[in-house]
Amino acid sequence: MYEYKKPNKKLLKVKKIVFAVISTFFKLLVCVIFAFPFLWMISTSFKTLYESLLYPPTLLPQNFTVDAYISLFEQVHLERYILNSLIILVSVTLLQVLIMVPAAYAFAKYNFKMKGVLFGAVMVAFMVPTQITFVSVFQMFSKMQLLDTLLPQIIPCICNAFGIFLLRQNFMQIPEELLESARLDEAGELKIMLKIMLPMSKSTLVTIMLLSMIGTWNSYFWPLVMTLHDSVRPITIAIQSLRNLEGGLEWPIIMAGNVILVLPVLILFFLASKKIIEAMAYRGVK
Amino acid sequence: MGEIVFKNICKSFGETKVIEDLNLTIRDGEFTVLVGASGCGKTTLLRMIAGIGPATSGELYIDGEEISDVPPGKRGIAMVFQNYAIYPTMTVKGNIEFGLKNRKIPKAERETLIAEVAETVGLTPYLKRKPSELSGGQRQRVALARAMVKKPKVFLLDEPLSNLDAKLRVSMRTELIELHHRLKTTFVYVTHDQTEAMSMADTIVLMDRGKIQQMASPMEIYNDPNNVFTAQFIGTPPMNIQKMKDGKHQLGYRAEKVQLSETKPDLLYARKAVVLTREMLGSETIYKLQLEEADDGSGKTAVMAKTPNLMFEVDSRVYIGVDRKDLYYFDEEGRRLRGDGISPSLEKMTAEGGES
Repeated sequence: MYEYKKPNKKLLKVKKIVFAVISTFFKLLVCVIFAFPFLWMISTSFKTLYESLLYPPTLLPQNFTVDAYISLFEQVHLERYILNSLIILVSVTLLQVLIMVPAAYAFAKYNFKMKGVLFGAVMVAFMVPTQITFVSVFQMFSKMQLLDTLLPQIIPCICNAFGIFLLRQNFMQIPEELLESARLDEAGELKIMLKIMLPMSKSTLVTIMLLSMIGTWNSYFWPLVMTLHDSVRPITIAIQSLRNLEGGLEWPIIMAGNVILVLPVLILFFLASKKIIEAMAYRGVK
Repeated sequence: MGEIVFKNICKSFGETKVIEDLNLTIRDGEFTVLVGASGCGKTTLLRMIAGIGPATSGELYIDGEEISDVPPGKRGIAMVFQNYAIYPTMTVKGNIEFGLKNRKIPKAERETLIAEVAETVGLTPYLKRKPSELSGGQRQRVALARAMVKKPKVFLLDEPLSNLDAKLRVSMRTELIELHHRLKTTFVYVTHDQTEAMSMADTIVLMDRGKIQQMASPMEIYNDPNNVFTAQFIGTPPMNIQKMKDGKHQLGYRAEKVQLSETKPDLLYARKAVVLTREMLGSETIYKLQLEEADDGSGKTAVMAKTPNLMFEVDSRVYIGVDRKDLYYFDEEGRRLRGDGISPSLEKMTAEGGES
């Protein structure tokens, strides 16, 4: 007869613990691999120039100093660039939402002539890389004599094709009855869009905005092409130009600049990570 | 008040004609049920009244006023959708309030109206909840409350009970009937369930393929069907319909009028049969019986019988009989023959059955 063999409880327990230790070790390893450059950047930004060049390098600053940060603002006047970046960021984000939401609503819930063609155009815009279009855009702004201002950094970015696509998909999932019901409740189209559709797509909208904000904040190529003078350039270019300071490569200053560049993105991500996960996961709200 | 008149209404979706030249008057203050199989055009009619699926051509009146160009919100109607269509991001109160706010009704008045309607449908403790925290029945009530608070001339209900479980459906049915008695406004109710139609309606409008088959009270539509379609759609199990010996006329009788016996009954219609299945429902038993030979000579055929008599076993041989007054005759196209239309020769054929 078949005999049921009792599993050795002790052995099982040991196996479990060993597995947990190994798995935790690898997880930590991956974390360190990803986090180390960041930590190195932060650590270097608080070192003196001398220490940053020491060999072998020190892991943590021996003489903790914020000189690098001070000279960033006193010598380079980073605040001017930050202000430019912020103006661009806020205008691009707001204008994007203003265009994206009605466009997505129309594509999702209306029938009109040329709808397919127009949506196709949006998709094409989404797929063509900027490196292909920048010459003609450059020429356009050149003809309008708007180069070397903030405008060419804002206007070409206000139509977020990917956002329109993503939001449209989200709107399409909203049942038609809800809209009909709202129309029976005497709600106008604007109200339907703002009070019914948008609240139901909040997570998607936040995700799109966040991705686009990070993209705008980090954009380097476009402003480099469209501007000549520092007065209209964003923070990314300023930080790149830190490599060309008179004193040669001053690593603490460069790293301090990078910390300032990355900080807003990190903060944004921590604030909105829950919403991002929500948007990507399926939501079964009936 | 709310009388609804359809005049020469046509509706097509692309090439497909769903409704062709339909005329219908829904009487003021009545509980009218539009019933039919899916795709028969009943929901299409309802959406026309609501203004969210306009007719292709024809005229539509509420209270004698042509409303084809009136936007949905201004028609004095309220609608309850099959999937409730309550706004998931608003609270229960927000849902009820939304329409009132859009009408710019002052806040104090809104509060009284909401409190009133919440009390009526029993939602007062749930006003601050989100729809996702409610059960199916409670969501249904939110949808009802949202409709009621507008004090409409006409209530439109599109299969509002079909998402509820069987028990809740029956109790909501009674509640809806009571609600109608209290409000005394026009209710237009769409369903595919003939039991629902029979139990709730003042008037049933039975539809098939975009045409009205019969419009009558539940009693009349059950006892006096106009055609084979109506006879078979209303009532469970559906009416037994047999082709007659001439191959043209059709003979019908309800399962509940069939009498079963061991000896040949002295009735106009009497046939030999074998019991195929027996379903006991408690108060009644439904038999499925097989006739050896159909009247028109097409071979074996099955009929249903519903009777309190549960003594017949499966496979036993019985006689089925139907009284003369319980027989219905239909012509080739399935139209009902009445009075003089029933010739003595038809009755003779009935009595003879398949025997030549």
